[in-house]
Amino acid sequence: MKNSHLLDEIREANMTYLILAQRMIRDDRDEALYRLGVSEQVAEILADLTPGQMMKIATTNTLVCRFRFDDQMIWNLLTSHTKDIAAQSVAGVHAAILMSTHMAEAA
Amino acid sequence: MAPRSVIADARDVRRASELIELGARLQVLESETALSRERLLRLYKEIQGRSPPKGMLPFSTDWFITWMPNIHASLFMGIYQNVIQASELDEIDAIIKTYRLYLEQCTVTGQEIVLSLTRAWRLVKFVDAGMLRTVRCTKCTGQFVAHTHDLIEGYVCGLCHMPSRAGKTRAAAKEALANDDMPLTLRRVH
Repeated sequence: MKNSHLLDEIREANMTYLILAQRMIRDDRDEALYRLGVSEQVAEILADLTPGQMMKIATTNTLVCRFRFDDQMIWNLLTSHTKDIAAQSVAGVHAAILMSTHMAEAA
Repeated sequence: MAPRSVIADARDVRRASELIELGARLQVLESETALSRERLLRLYKEIQGRSPPKGMLPFSTDWFITWMPNIHASLFMGIYQNVIQASELDEIDAIIKTYRLYLEQCTVTGQEIVLSLTRAWRLVKFVDAGMLRTVRCTKCTGQFVAHTHDLIEGYVCGLCHMPSRAGKTRAAAKEALANDDMPLTLRRVH
């Protein structure tokens, strides 16, 4: 089957994401909410997942995480290449400001 | 006077230690904890290995409006708004968490740390007091720190509309930074 390899990779990516998310929430919940961009309710569910449940969630043909921004401007800032290191660094901060703004508004 | 709760005391000591480690000035500690000045001084010396700097805190709201500080202040407020929205932290704990995330962001983007913890704390207080607020840039739609009474019709942020000499004062900035209330451990060495 041509797709079995792809499905394996999706499962692996999902599993890695779920394990990382759970560890972050257990380590420092407030920080994790910001880093993951999930609500408190979702964080609670993630924190309580058993390995078996994670396996079930991960085994699917879609990814469980998705892009957090669809703003053209953020993409441009993050992908722009310039030799000027200072300008590059400022673009990174600009993108971070936009992302945090959008996150706060979406919540 | 009723005896102080041991738990509240432990919480204050934890908060004070975290704040001192991040470079807070004594005034911040005095205002955010119920610990006596003597205990705070002892704690400060134990953690930083020296006496706290004396003198007044920076008190101007204008600093937050100048180019580079404005970018950093806006980044801090962006993170802060998320942290405070997502959880039920006390304000000072939210400031500590946000400041850590801000330091991280500076490190990954290769930025100098422009905002000291004391400045960040002042910023939140200024916003609480309604002296500063965030406004939306009409170009990039990001939220940026501005004076409350500034005209914001068609506001464009310092990143969309860079002043011609922006960032050209590296040397001056470095010197200003050295005089700031930044702890040694947080200063970036060039």
